Amino acid sequence: MNEPTHGAIAAGARASRLPVIRGRELAAPFTASADVVVVGSGAGGAVLARELARDGRSVIVLEEGGHYAPEEYGAMPPSHSFRRMSREAGMSVALGLGDTPLISLLAGKCVGGSSVLTGAVCFRIPEEVLHVWSRDLGLERMTPEGLDPFFTEVERITHVEDVPVHMRSRATELFVEGASKLGIPMKTIRRNTKGCRGAGRCNFGCPHGAKMSVDVSFLPDAVAHGATIVSDALVERIDVSGGRARGVRGRFLDGVTGEPRVRFEVRAKIVVVACGSMHTPVLLRQSGLDSVHIGRHLTLHPAVRIGALFDEEVDGWDGALQSVYTDHFLDEGIWLNGVYSAVNVLAAAFPGIGREHRRLVKRMPNLAFFGGMVHDEGGGQVRRWISREPLVLYRMAKRDKARLLKTIHILARMAFAAGAKEVLVPVFGSPTIKNDKELDFLLEDRLPARRIECMAFHPLGSAKMAVTPEAGVVKPTGETWAVENLFVCDGSVLPTSIGVNSQLPIMSVAMMLARGIAADFRRYARRV
Amino acid sequence: MSAAPLPNLVTKDFQRTTLKGDDRLVVRALAEAMFSPDGEVSAERLDAFVDEVDAFISPASKTLRFGLRVMLFAIRWSPLLFFRLRPFDAMTVDERIAHLERLERSKVRQLPLLVVAYKTVLTMLFYEHPDEQRAIGYPGPERRRWKRGPALPMLDDASPVAARPAPSKNEVSP
Repeated sequence: MNEPTHGAIAAGARASRLPVIRGRELAAPFTASADVVVVGSGAGGAVLARELARDGRSVIVLEEGGHYAPEEYGAMPPSHSFRRMSREAGMSVALGLGDTPLISLLAGKCVGGSSVLTGAVCFRIPEEVLHVWSRDLGLERMTPEGLDPFFTEVERITHVEDVPVHMRSRATELFVEGASKLGIPMKTIRRNTKGCRGAGRCNFGCPHGAKMSVDVSFLPDAVAHGATIVSDALVERIDVSGGRARGVRGRFLDGVTGEPRVRFEVRAKIVVVACGSMHTPVLLRQSGLDSVHIGRHLTLHPAVRIGALFDEEVDGWDGALQSVYTDHFLDEGIWLNGVYSAVNVLAAAFPGIGREHRRLVKRMPNLAFFGGMVHDEGGGQVRRWISREPLVLYRMAKRDKARLLKTIHILARMAFAAGAKEVLVPVFGSPTIKNDKELDFLLEDRLPARRIECMAFHPLGSAKMAVTPEAGVVKPTGETWAVENLFVCDGSVLPTSIGVNSQLPIMSVAMMLARGIAADFRRYARRV
Repeated sequence: MSAAPLPNLVTKDFQRTTLKGDDRLVVRALAEAMFSPDGEVSAERLDAFVDEVDAFISPASKTLRFGLRVMLFAIRWSPLLFFRLRPFDAMTVDERIAHLERLERSKVRQLPLLVVAYKTVLTMLFYEHPDEQRAIGYPGPERRRWKRGPALPMLDDASPVAARPAPSKNEVSP
């Protein structure tokens, strides 16, 4: 393996337009062959494509979503970004079973996948989690020491850095003050950014090209080493014969209707599925794999955010979208992060209809936001349904519901400690809260979960890695137990919830799996 | 309705629509109740807003779009649940506001979702308009805090990055 030089990455992340074949512009059937075909161009697929391309393999990356360059998505208002670059125009949900909220799920559907739409927050997988994976689940390489080289390299390539203190918005400063008064220490977040100007809209694509998402880091390097990227390519089936994967087939999306139309087929020695935790199980099932674990064990990191109304103007939009966090409540499975978003997106969650809603929206410069997420037990399932999008079901553990309510309680107390006059809690139909005492209902276990406004950004674990076929879908190498030369390389292989933002963990595990494939490529190729 | 200028996208949008006749009536009635309780928003703008909502939801899957239309049907006839024999869009604005608040507080699991789903989409789209953002005190893309830190490298002219900020005094050439 050559020593990485990072080609386009080293040039400063502002590469020229990524050469991508746009499937929606193709009118004739398309057939190709390659050493490796990768389905999905997000955090998993892009890293793997880059690694194998650098290893001298011919690589084709097929992405269902469209391709938008940084100068395009950077200029899109949030709703335009949602409708062009997110699954279901940003309206995906996990349906709650039992006492579970409806959970809004945000996932990317574009070249670069969700990495284009993350808040850029980077955490390594906590050591406690890796100890469970390596000791209890038998995944011997998944130790802090085993993954350290991959974390280190991904952090270097994507320029993971501390958010400087001066980039904290006034809104964030107030929450830090509130936390301090309650004895909760805040720490500085690390993000994969280079030249952040604090636009506060990372989730819709960075307007300054400062976020080192895979479309400006790994994919340009993959292309520089010969990889081909094709957008608007919906893979419908993996070709399997004799127990081995031989390639994939599908259809390009029509440029007018958006429906699948022109057929394509790619023959390959190795097939890698990297569609993310919500779509990888669907493709595996469509292709005839029948492990009971496919689509199960989905974890989400259910998250909430509160708004806090201050007398002073806090201009929450002026600063890094996320700049501080605390792991003070880690033992209770609660992780608190600074957050912000576009003002129109924030306004959508305000209580009230008509005049009352308008009253709060007009106080936007005085509103600060803070969020938290829960290290969940799981309880999610992904199922094929009547459209291309899966049916996602989630049954929240009683423990996790209590954690979610406690998260809201802590955040609201922090806000009042910082001097907030009103707090907007994420409870549908709830008026604003005026003081600490009004928060008690959150801890009384009487609030139905369906009234909690909940969201999730880190679906993981729906094709989990295990040391036996009875326990999971893929081997520790990433190859499926059921089909040879078929690999999964995305967040779905992570065997449990990790409790932290998943971008860096997915990239690092993908790099580890890719290096393993590269090392054994000749052996895999000889099987064909 | 979205007035923000966009670059000429290389990847062209799909051309499809979702909302039909009655759907459009309900979306318009919802928007009027949510954003124009005292007639602040012009009729033309409300009409254009319906097109913006249609453009937003139309890239979603067939299943979701069907579900969204079913929800509009349910909102339209939801007054019957409270023994009001008129469709939602035939109610006065104040009646609609009261009705939506009642739905949002309902203990029947699905009813609040009708309101929440459309309130989320409509609010996000409505307050995306630069005029509305100015009215609520949002200054636009200009930011100040990053200038307090060490100078960032100036983007070169060939850099294909949108919305490049105007050079400031503490920026230096690389």
